[in-house]
Amino acid sequence: MDPKAPEFGRFTEPSLLILVSLSRGPKHGYAIMTEIETDTGRPMGAGTLYAALARLEESGLIEPLAPIDRRRPYRLTGVGATMLGEQLRGLSAFAQQGLRQLGEPLS
Amino acid sequence: MRQFLIRFYPAVWRARYGDEFEALLEERPLGPFDVADIILGAIDARLRLRGRGASPTTARGFTMSLRIGGIAAIVAGAAWGLTFVGSTGILGDSDRLIQYAVFALALLSLLVALIGLSAFQAREHSTVIWAAVALPVVGTVVALVGLVAMTLLDDAQLVAGVSAWNLWIFGLMAAVFGSGLFAIATYQTRTLSRPGSALLGFGSFLTLPTLVITGEIGFDAVGAVAIVTAIVGFSVGWIVLGVAAIRTMAPAVDPQPA
Repeated sequence: MDPKAPEFGRFTEPSLLILVSLSRGPKHGYAIMTEIETDTGRPMGAGTLYAALARLEESGLIEPLAPIDRRRPYRLTGVGATMLGEQLRGLSAFAQQGLRQLGEPLS
Repeated sequence: MRQFLIRFYPAVWRARYGDEFEALLEERPLGPFDVADIILGAIDARLRLRGRGASPTTARGFTMSLRIGGIAAIVAGAAWGLTFVGSTGILGDSDRLIQYAVFALALLSLLVALIGLSAFQAREHSTVIWAAVALPVVGTVVALVGLVAMTLLDDAQLVAGVSAWNLWIFGLMAAVFGSGLFAIATYQTRTLSRPGSALLGFGSFLTLPTLVITGEIGFDAVGAVAIVTAIVGFSVGWIVLGVAAIRTMAPAVDPQPA
């Protein structure tokens, strides 16, 4: 929707879920995974998680922190927070438009 | 197992993410879903390293998801139903090759469904889920050999009194038994659909004795009702679980039409 936002192909949805998880604060991989699974009810495999994390890090949307006992936390960068906000506003506008068309505007 | 899986990733990737990735994998038991997801992730990492999709703007990769498992479960349910109907002889011998192709599709889609839908169950019932996948994997290989042999040699004895048909029926039973184990783990984990897993379990565990008994003494009215009930339970159970998985993947906002 936003031409400036990086396109992650099949990892778009996992990437968005990771960014939302990190918007609550820095987390390591396992904490991200379990939080996403709890929030969405969908499993997230370690392979998918790290494929998305690598892309997000490469794009500068997240950054790694110093590891604690081999577990490395990641945090959202300023660019990442801005892009996440744009993505969520775009999705919200799209959802509201769809719901209006169904006669059920968002409260 | 974990070390072995990490070795699928390229050395450059392991140098950067290897330690934290291994620490992550140590957090909980690995199921077939996790193993498949890690292998797909490793393929993706190797493709990215070779410049295919290296740019974040063109990246394409693989993900193991409930959606893939859900679609496979629906295909498996339909294909198994057709296979059972075909095995009754209603469709006639003229379509035998098509029936074999449908059975091969049924076996392969069942494997994908078992792997794709077993993520949550494997965390509580790891051994049961591994058995639920391993049995059909072995069964699929044996049954495919049986199918090829039946196509080429009809029902000739292959070795030690074992015929091509024997191989086929062994593969079928292994897949059905694996489905039954999967149904038990799914029911106990309260994931996907409890009615769907109950139906699949009922169909699986009714199919096995019914096939054996009708194979020994032939069909009678009770046997026919039992086998049809088992087939319907097995096929519909898989389809219900597949639909439940796809519905789980639907967007969180789920508006009701006015």
